[in-house]
Amino acid sequence: MRPFEYCAPSTVTEALSLLREYGDRARPLAGGTDLLIFMQSGRVQPDYVVDLTRIAALKGIAYDPAQGLKLGALTSMREVELAPAIRAHYPALAASTFELAGVQVRNMATIGGNTCNASPAADTIPPLMALDAVAVIAGTTGERRVPYTELFQGPGKTALKRDELLASIDLPPPSSRTGSHYIKLAVRKAMDIAIVGVAASVTLDDGLVQDCRIALGAVGPTVIRAHEAEQLLRGKPLEDATLKAVAKAAQAAAKPITDQRGSAAYRTMMVGVLVPQALRQAAMAAQRTE
Amino acid sequence: MEPNGQQFHVVGSRVPRVDALEKVTGRARYTADVHLPGLLYGVFVRSPYAHARITRIDVSKARALPGVMAVMTQQDLTEDQALVIQEEVHATRRVLNLFATDKVTYQGQKIAAIAAVSREIAEDAVRLVEVEYDPLPAYIDPRDAAKPETTMIYDDRQPVIGPHGETLHNVAGESHHQIGDVDQGFRDADRIFEDTYIVHRAHQTYIEPQSCIAEVGPDGKVTVWSSTQGHFAVRANISSSLGIPLSQINSIGMTIGGGFGAKFGGIIDTYAVLLAQKTRRPVKIVYTREEEFLDARPAPGAVITIKTGVTHDGTITARQAFALWDPGIGSGGCGATGRIQGVYSIPNVKWDAYDIHTNKPAPGAYRAPGAPQATFASESQLNRIAHELGIDPVELRLKNMREGDQVDFKATLKAVADHVGWWQREHDTGPNQGWGVAVGEWTNGAGPGAAVVSIHEDGSVSVFSGLMDITGTDSAMAVIAAEVLGVEYQRVKVIRGDTDSAPYATASGGSVITFSMGNAVLRAAEEARERILALAAEQFAVPVDRLELRDGQVVDRDHPENAMSLAEAARLGMRTIGGPIVGRGAFAAQPSATTIAAQIAKVEVNPDTGQVRLLKYVGSLDVGRAIYALGVEGQMEGGAVQGFSWGLMEQMQYAIDGRNANPNLLDYRIPTAMDVPYVESVLVEVPTKNGPFGCKGVGEPPIAPGIAVVAGAIHDAIGVWCNEAPITPERVVMACQERKDGVRG
Amino acid sequence: MAKDRHEEQRPPSRAPNPVSSTISRRGFLKGIGTGAITAAVAPAVLMTQPDTADAQTLPGITQAQITLKVNGKPYKVDVESRTTLLSVLREKLDLTGAKLVCDRGECGGCTVLMDGKPVYACMMLALDAQGHEITTIEGLAAGDRLHPIQEAFIEHDALMCGFCTPGFVVAIKGLLDKTPNPTLDDIKRGVSGNICRCGTYPRVFQAALTAAQKMRKGG
Repeated sequence: MRPFEYCAPSTVTEALSLLREYGDRARPLAGGTDLLIFMQSGRVQPDYVVDLTRIAALKGIAYDPAQGLKLGALTSMREVELAPAIRAHYPALAASTFELAGVQVRNMATIGGNTCNASPAADTIPPLMALDAVAVIAGTTGERRVPYTELFQGPGKTALKRDELLASIDLPPPSSRTGSHYIKLAVRKAMDIAIVGVAASVTLDDGLVQDCRIALGAVGPTVIRAHEAEQLLRGKPLEDATLKAVAKAAQAAAKPITDQRGSAAYRTMMVGVLVPQALRQAAMAAQRTE
Repeated sequence: MEPNGQQFHVVGSRVPRVDALEKVTGRARYTADVHLPGLLYGVFVRSPYAHARITRIDVSKARALPGVMAVMTQQDLTEDQALVIQEEVHATRRVLNLFATDKVTYQGQKIAAIAAVSREIAEDAVRLVEVEYDPLPAYIDPRDAAKPETTMIYDDRQPVIGPHGETLHNVAGESHHQIGDVDQGFRDADRIFEDTYIVHRAHQTYIEPQSCIAEVGPDGKVTVWSSTQGHFAVRANISSSLGIPLSQINSIGMTIGGGFGAKFGGIIDTYAVLLAQKTRRPVKIVYTREEEFLDARPAPGAVITIKTGVTHDGTITARQAFALWDPGIGSGGCGATGRIQGVYSIPNVKWDAYDIHTNKPAPGAYRAPGAPQATFASESQLNRIAHELGIDPVELRLKNMREGDQVDFKATLKAVADHVGWWQREHDTGPNQGWGVAVGEWTNGAGPGAAVVSIHEDGSVSVFSGLMDITGTDSAMAVIAAEVLGVEYQRVKVIRGDTDSAPYATASGGSVITFSMGNAVLRAAEEARERILALAAEQFAVPVDRLELRDGQVVDRDHPENAMSLAEAARLGMRTIGGPIVGRGAFAAQPSATTIAAQIAKVEVNPDTGQVRLLKYVGSLDVGRAIYALGVEGQMEGGAVQGFSWGLMEQMQYAIDGRNANPNLLDYRIPTAMDVPYVESVLVEVPTKNGPFGCKGVGEPPIAPGIAVVAGAIHDAIGVWCNEAPITPERVVMACQERKDGVRG
Repeated sequence: MAKDRHEEQRPPSRAPNPVSSTISRRGFLKGIGTGAITAAVAPAVLMTQPDTADAQTLPGITQAQITLKVNGKPYKVDVESRTTLLSVLREKLDLTGAKLVCDRGECGGCTVLMDGKPVYACMMLALDAQGHEITTIEGLAAGDRLHPIQEAFIEHDALMCGFCTPGFVVAIKGLLDKTPNPTLDDIKRGVSGNICRCGTYPRVFQAALTAAQKMRKGG
């Protein structure tokens, strides 16, 4: 790693001030499992590293059945994995941590870091998007809220400005007939990056899909919502004929590339395979909440 | 059991590894754990291009950086030092430049070496070296590199006419062989099968990176500490590369964190010595994980077309292969095509194989070099033949297996089949589940070595040699000495000497050690034994043949009151003309017998995603005699995992411009704890004539069948043949797609 | 007390360029001790600036002398800001049990416990390890008495080349201290971030089960 100046602010205000002063020459440090790798390989060479891990305001999980879930940006993946409220009410998010890297990385990596690193293959982003998460962003002029559907601009790029910080991630309260699921397609069962990631959320009403969300990972420059596919499913029962059309629409929404992990053709095929599976699992989870 | 019916008291028992304690406490000292005063760190300037002409190299800025002690390029070497001669146990001898000069032929090739006071400064200096390149087309597939319109990687290689009249370019080596008359054999066949199999290069992925430290004394004496499978090989390599007399080099073999055939020296040690000579300070070089992929010695890939003739009842009449191997810029590998013969009686065999240069690093052995690749072709096709003929794949093999002296291939295959319940497997097979079988083989070589066994005044025993323990062989030596001398295993210490102090020991590889060094230790222990018996015979005034060694004592069988402890015998020895009790043994070469590994896997395939789950994996191994039982099982299990891992997930990937696409442990996948089934081993013992206690080499055979095993199991599960390894989920799905589209039968 | 091996060779402190007037006032670490809810963080020895809320003068550091608590003992070491915990352990504290294998958080060879949780020492800045309890493989045995996990590894021959072994043993300790009665699946997950190439996984699982049993009995 190249040399850098290290600062460890203890408040969000201090952190923002540092980030504003140093702009592009600074990087915020959370769990380090992305940033330190980039710095070791030379991909990123900040002159300043602003360590956020001592900022109490960025920590903590709060769940309330009426308010929903508030995840401090510094919540570790392991905490997300083990939190009973998340397993019960946001199963897709919990599921996305089960095969995420290995236990050591999960002890260190943070949910905020996963979002801000904005890899299109990130495991927690599709579930957050499918669960209507909102990014609560702290800036020097105050706080703003950006839904996950508007947060990502390209591989590694979010709507955060250089002098802003992700403070927390808010998820709306679960409604009783809603279930969600996340499927990660990878070769290994640990320590692997998704070849395709599919998150689905389904709200049932009397056997019909009242509402749904489908978020696709690793098949585009960012995680994407498959809006047309969702539209085809709304108001319909979850059955083979409908799912076939939904799968096709989801495939049309995917824009994968060919890289060392898989070809575009295979990825597109897998979107068609995994979207119906994720929807079915989400529906089963929805039924369990009744 | 010994042939005379005697029970062994240590051989075959499950004693713990001699170095287990130091390893579980973290106290085992590996090469990178060593600190020396004044230590410098060596790093390399490497080519970012896979194939390019070098038009300019300027190291002046790097040399000027404070903290940099030396920068060396090919310009700084003498005529004699311009070459590094790599001798590896199984690969051909070849001659390569230490540094690239006017051309680079693979990404990562070394252009300069830098020694600095810290790794960070050394890396800063790397960035200050200026090199200009004119890129050339790069080749990553031997089929492309062999085409006439290619750019030659080495200008002096002549084109070769292949067996079908085609012209092959970039040929690095050839292997041709004929037994009988394959044309007649094919005429005698009822059916002929022809298939092409592809295996991509795999990296041995030993967890401990290539590491070494070199120091040069004021008298020019070189000392090298290395992570190596053969420190005598390291000494020889440095001597021949740099023109330093053997006796001026002391090579110390450190505890090694995995080698699997890739650590015979020549990759970094020569450079550490050069830098140490230049700076007159010790220099440590430790590869990063990325460097391992760019510039170590991964196993070669191969494209093998195999044609087999069989009669209706499954008798093989002929086998013929044409193969293009991918050894990068080196050579050595195509000879392994001969392994298509396997352990079968095939009267007519022919192969024509070529090593074709590509823009990748030179190859190294990966356990049984070339065997997994060739065995994938030969055994996978046998499974296809069995399927097409409607014959059980185990039966087909039993039908064709050779019989012979010191081997029982059929018993070994039957052992694993019986163990898994092969004959009743249809009752144990759910949807999308299947079973696969394959057999691999290897005949261990032998190598020269000597050992010294001493009995100390307290009756404890030490075994001293230059043996490098990469698989638990230290423990096997302790077992041998304990068995011969009638002492407890825990009373034997195994000591490894450096090249200054120890007698010559052949490098650890080729499954030679227990056979070769084991014989040396056996002879040394027997000589010590004879001395003890002679001393006691004289003391008790009884004939020697009445005496035996057991429980740390020498005892008169007829009059057990005549007994003396080994300690007493040792002290007695020191008062006689003979002196301290020392036994010496040496060994050079003797033929061994083939070892086969027969493996069976049960898999479950997700036909939609192509993901393959291993439910069961069992292997049998004919070991001759298991001396150190835990070690043997470890070889069987470890080799099996490496084999099926190559079959399912390992591939060194390259972009079209020849650059590495996955030089890291994230995208170059080896199985995690979540990915392996329980691997069971079944040991069969058919003693050899020449191995100590009848043992033979076991380290290599277990890797050979794995790719073919999983390919066969996948076919059994979902009905598609995957002929390109690794058989990733994508390849499974694409194979299903091709079948659906009618592309392949 | 840790010896700083490379004292005479430590590279000169390299502050990033360009140098601005605000940077030149900096050089000392400040403010890492306040406000953290997880653990009390020992302030760096060189702290001399008063703790103010004025972020404009918040100093940064390129090197510092810090105290790390490893295996129950405090160590004072000089580190650069870019020094990883793994580097400190191996190069300055002579605790070479944790291994440098990939330096990318991809293999588990450098696993240590931080407040009882398995983490990768290569992915952690030494500065961030302050104020935490770090446990390495060297901290498991009590003198000559092996930890039950280590005994179980020997008993089941759960090692071959041994290079990955410290990482596995430490990861298993992290698991068993929190999950005293693990299932096989718990164990696999507990070592999901540790790669072995020699093929020891099944024996590692057996060793972990045996160790769990021993530890429950109070062995």
